[in-house]
Amino acid sequence: MIPKSDKEKVSNDHEALLMSLYQDAFPLVASYVKKMGGSFDEAKDIFQDALIIYYEKVRHTGITLRYTEKAYLFGIAKYLWNKRYKVTSKELPIDIHNDPDVVDSVYEEISSSRLINLLQTAGEKCMQLLSAFYYERLNMETLAERFGFSGPRSATVQKFKCLEKIKETVKEKSLNYEDIME
Amino acid sequence: MKTSWNELLLIEDYLLSDRKEADSVVLEARMILQPDLKDSIFWQEKTYSLIEQYGRQQLRKEIEQVHEKLFTAPEHASFRQKIIRLFSK
Repeated sequence: MIPKSDKEKVSNDHEALLMSLYQDAFPLVASYVKKMGGSFDEAKDIFQDALIIYYEKVRHTGITLRYTEKAYLFGIAKYLWNKRYKVTSKELPIDIHNDPDVVDSVYEEISSSRLINLLQTAGEKCMQLLSAFYYERLNMETLAERFGFSGPRSATVQKFKCLEKIKETVKEKSLNYEDIME
Repeated sequence: MKTSWNELLLIEDYLLSDRKEADSVVLEARMILQPDLKDSIFWQEKTYSLIEQYGRQQLRKEIEQVHEKLFTAPEHASFRQKIIRLFSK
């Protein structure tokens, strides 16, 4: 087991990063949304989506930002607001029940989230480990530290065990139609 | 390394690396000899996609917690007031 303080440090660093991005950029985004006639809740939704996009972009592509984090977040939020605003201002009543694309994507979303719940129940520790590797893109050293493995080698072995187990569960649960649809 | 892990790794390289030609050739050759490999690739790709969605869900929860803290904790009162003032005009 790793000492609790190290474990806390890793999660505190992450929280501190999110906190500083929030404090730095949210006022600017909120002020823009307000200026455009939006509400506090809309500003919150737009900003949180922008934070996720920003996080994934930086983590997954490893791009070097040419502007400050604040400017980058503001840019994404502005784009999201305009996209959403333009969509809602269009006077077209969308009949989601008769639009095959919408129905398909709603179905996909429901079955995915149901599947994720099942995976969490079947192996939460594995989901956390795999997400730390594939989503957060942590290296094996940090992964070993966070999850209390003796070193990167042992973390690699554990990652394979988990991937194998979760892949099996995904296959088994997806093929079991009743499990997904209840 | 277990034999099944070799397959996991081979598929992982095929799906997640920039589809290097050498990997694709090896894998495509194996698919001819081993027809169930195609299924295996499908399930592994689906697994990655679900892990990605799970990761995003967790991040969303963390962001929401940060928001809650900023809008309730006494030490963030001035930040909170700044935002509330904006929307009360």
